[in-house]
Amino acid sequence: MLENIIDIITEISGADEGEIDAGTELFDEGILDSFGVVQLFVQLESLGVKLDVAEFERAQISTPAKIAALCE
Amino acid sequence: MFLLDKLEQYAGTDRIALLYQGQAVSYRDLSRQAEAFAAYLLDAFGSDDAPVLIYGHKDLFIPPCMFGAIKAGHSYIPVDTTFPPERVCQILEQAAPCLVVNLSDTELSAAPLIDKNALADILSAYEGRFDGIDRITDDHTVYTLFTSGTTGKPKGVQITAKNIAAFVDGVAPWFDCGLTEGVFLNEISYSFDVSVCALYYALSRGFTLYTVDKQTMNDPKALFVALRESNIDFWVSTPSLAEFCVRSAQFREALLPKAKKFVFCGEVLTKKLAQEMLARFPHAEMINAYGPTEATVLVTAVTINDALCADSRSIPIGYPFSNLRAIIAAPDGTELIDGKEGELLLLGDCVSPGYLRRPDLNERAFFTDTDSGLRGYHTGDLCRRENGLIYYLGRMDGQVKLNGFRVELEDVESNLLRVENIARAAVVPVVEDGKTVALTAFVCLQRADGLSSLARAKKIKTALAAVLPSYMIPRKIVAVDDFPVNTNGKVDKKALSALA
Repeated sequence: MLENIIDIITEISGADEGEIDAGTELFDEGILDSFGVVQLFVQLESLGVKLDVAEFERAQISTPAKIAALCE
Repeated sequence: MFLLDKLEQYAGTDRIALLYQGQAVSYRDLSRQAEAFAAYLLDAFGSDDAPVLIYGHKDLFIPPCMFGAIKAGHSYIPVDTTFPPERVCQILEQAAPCLVVNLSDTELSAAPLIDKNALADILSAYEGRFDGIDRITDDHTVYTLFTSGTTGKPKGVQITAKNIAAFVDGVAPWFDCGLTEGVFLNEISYSFDVSVCALYYALSRGFTLYTVDKQTMNDPKALFVALRESNIDFWVSTPSLAEFCVRSAQFREALLPKAKKFVFCGEVLTKKLAQEMLARFPHAEMINAYGPTEATVLVTAVTINDALCADSRSIPIGYPFSNLRAIIAAPDGTELIDGKEGELLLLGDCVSPGYLRRPDLNERAFFTDTDSGLRGYHTGDLCRRENGLIYYLGRMDGQVKLNGFRVELEDVESNLLRVENIARAAVVPVVEDGKTVALTAFVCLQRADGLSSLARAKKIKTALAAVLPSYMIPRKIVAVDDFPVNTNGKVDKKALSALA
């Protein structure tokens, strides 16, 4: 799942392959905003993972690793 | 003026006008503060009626400053803190305000300028000193909103008292829902004209504006806590906000049990979202509405139902309000019959007198109909009418609507060219399901910078943030060696879009 998340974020942000890792700070680095989160969640849903935005503070979804942990 | 009269209607009461972060401002206090600010302006600036620029986000002092400015015979220019100081300077140069009220934590170099503390002192010093004279005539400019301009600098749309009165009259049959009080969602930045629904429709009906700021909007958990607490009756937002909210199973009738109407405007409403909203709020009315800033907020509306969602066409933008004329026109200006595609032209009292100090643009965008004497506006929106309903088909130029914000792609491009080491720039929208979800910028560098894509994007985004509002900054920045060109030798944006 972590790899899928990194792939999606790499695509959304236009990063180079390997540039985003498990610990990349997505908001601090200006990679995602709220609307980017929506795009990410929509794409995760197509992978069968349904996350509920209302349940998370920003800090809980600030890195790919944290998002992957929530998907487990 | 109608609004001031309507506000006065509740000014003697302790009914709550504004709610924000647990603080409440009653209609009585709102009126008192507005009058105190008006008295100060009259004292300090006399007959100089230059505009008052208000820089801030959702501060509770903003509405009294707006209403105080018009009571004193000025107009106001609301500028949200998403605009960086340099962009504010470009507005200051064009608008030459008599006063800047800075309700933000960002420093602005402008004179004369008052900050929040100075304003608070003024409001208490001038309380009860307003002379009560009505200085507003129909053609008086009430506000000027600065929107993205193709030259890379914003342009100011001037809206008069007559324009606002026409909007409030025109929208009433769509908005009125038998409520004599209630809670109205107030989350839209004051520099975006949809906020006029809250300020001029809701406050003239005695509603309470439940105010949600950017910080809360950016924190999903906090946003849902706020929504649950709000108990709103009336929701106006961009589809993008609802798109965000439906990512939670909580977003349904049980969260907002009193919600009677949802109005969506500012960008394309997709069928998927419309259906989702109908299913989640089965007892509320869903309205799709449309309007350019130049014709005062909204000019068409339609109630969404299952039949419209099942139709093979996109969701229509609606029926024109009864107090204006909407024409689908051929390039030579002649009216087209139903079913034909053409530019949407709007005529009526809702149409702005024009852009501030931009006769060049006014010449092209506005006109006065010789037969009726009505003011008209070329929307630049390609539309088609069928059975009275207008369908939006796309733009005739490089303007896009992103999360409800209006962005001229050329504005972003010209500002990209001001960034160090960028030789050429082309910006394209990322479109999903017919709706723009982000911007991608393609850039040719002057020389190789040795940076990774993400590091370069961060550097360019940081530079752009100094000159552009945050919503105009592309999410993705891609460096290319060259741009694809079409047969005319122009940058082939279609080819770039495929790479966006």
